[in-house]
Order: sequence, then C-alpha cells, then structure tokens
Amino acid sequence: MRTPAEVRVGDTPDVRVVGPVTQTDIVRFAGAGGDFNPLHHDPGFVATSGFPGVIAMGQMQAGILAGWLSDTFGVEHVRSFGVRFVAPVFIGDTLTLGGTVVSIDETDGESLATLDLVASGDKGPVVTGSAKVAVAST
Amino acid sequence: MSDPLPAGVVDRVEYDVERGKIREFTRATFTTDPVHTDPAVARDAGFADVPATLIHTVVAGHQRDQRAFVDSLGLALARVVVGSVTWTYLRPLTAGDHVVGSRRIVADEQREGKRGGTMRIVTLETEYVDTEGEPVVRLEEVLIERGEQR
Repeated sequence: MRTPAEVRVGDTPDVRVVGPVTQTDIVRFAGAGGDFNPLHHDPGFVATSGFPGVIAMGQMQAGILAGWLSDTFGVEHVRSFGVRFVAPVFIGDTLTLGGTVVSIDETDGESLATLDLVASGDKGPVVTGSAKVAVAST
Repeated sequence: MSDPLPAGVVDRVEYDVERGKIREFTRATFTTDPVHTDPAVARDAGFADVPATLIHTVVAGHQRDQRAFVDSLGLALARVVVGSVTWTYLRPLTAGDHVVGSRRIVADEQREGKRGGTMRIVTLETEYVDTEGEPVVRLEEVLIERGEQR
C-alpha cells in the first residue's frame, strides 16, 4: 500500500474545480451508474417537474467530491465517506471540491483524520459531508 | 436465482466489479489517480487489480427498479428525496470481486415538517459481501418523503 498522507489539524488540501457541468457530464454519470430518471436528461419532462432545468443526480456531485478525496489521500486509505445533499446542481454550474482536517485520532493502531467536506456550486454549497482517512502518524 | 429474500431484506443485488466499469466511474467523477485505470500502477501500489472508485456501489442503479422499490416501501416517488448517503469501507473493492448487497430498513420515522405535513424518514443499510462472505463495503441511505402540501 502507498504511504498515507501527512496532515495536521486545520490543513486544507488543494481544492479541485470541475465544470461548467454539461449535459454530457450528467449522461456519462447516468451511463456509469444506471440512473435514468428523466429529471436528469429530458428537458420536456423537467418542464413538468417544477425545476427550472435539468439537474444532476446528487450521486454525481458526491462522486466528484469522492474523487477529489481519494486522489488526495489514496483510495486505500479512505475508511468512510458521507454526504448530505443540500442544493441541486444545474447544467452550467461550476463545482469547487475541497475539505478541512478537523481532528486526528488514534483508533485501533491507526491515525485517522476526520475531514469536513464541501462541494460548492455557483450559489453556495450543494453537498456537504465528512470522511475518515488513514494518515501518517506524527 | 429467485431464492426468497431473508427476513428483513428489502432487496438484494449482485454484480462483478469490472475494470471497464471502474474506468467509466473514474471518468464520470473526474478522478485522476491512475491506480483506477492502469493495472500495472495498481499492482505497484499493492492492489491485486485496479481498485474501484469510492462510489462504485452506485452501479446497483442498473439493476434496480427504483419506482417499484419506492412503491414497495409505501412512499410517494414524487415526494421522495435522498437526504444523505454514507459509505463505510472495510477494504478496497477491486476488479475481479463479485459482491452481493442486501438492503435492510434500519429506521422508519415520522417527523413534523417545518412547512406543515408529516415527513417520513427511512434509513436503509446495504452490506456488500464478497465471495468469501466477508463484508467489503456498507452503505447507509436516508430517504426523506416530504409532507403533502395542503
């Protein structure tokens, strides 16, 4: 396994910017995951739904946030990843993904960092979350 | 294949974890670590094959009829939103794995909504086990059915 990252409480690893989100991005995620709810690709259906436009599936922005997390810390070091969905993502939104190390604890002989995570769109947070990742003991 | 589900299990899915599907998720989630797409890089990093991205269990969407599932819980699909999802990783899911996920209801509560009406909050837990029967990943999903507008 690769060496865990060295971090301290308060660290904010470099953020990632993704977007603007396109219909193609949403369709590509639908193909990977199998969510073919027309809310995510059919403007005619969306017009009957009350939303002002096609929205991404929440799992997409959760997955993009998870990608930032595993690219930063190594997928084998991630012990948990949790998200809450707070606002929809529309085509054209640009996402900013990042997090903050809020604590580091020794658990079962492993240094586990707890991170607060956030994915923000053009108007504020769209997904908030937290993760536990194994890090180098200091 | 049509064995009855064990008591308390609301649905069950199984699939092979495949390199091609991992590559699709890697691209769809803007994940850049080549460990997910290059078997040689994965082996150098200590994996048996390429590891899946963190949300790979979403692939179960290909096997589920979400409308039928929501109906079976007695929920109104149009008023249901996913509030939160948490994954707990017991080991990295890797190409070549075959996993079986059993989904159970672990909580089903009613709460007064802020804008009137009663919200129903259903918490589901899915545990995926490998061919050895060992748990690999657990998934907790909280579904919220908003109250009817009056």
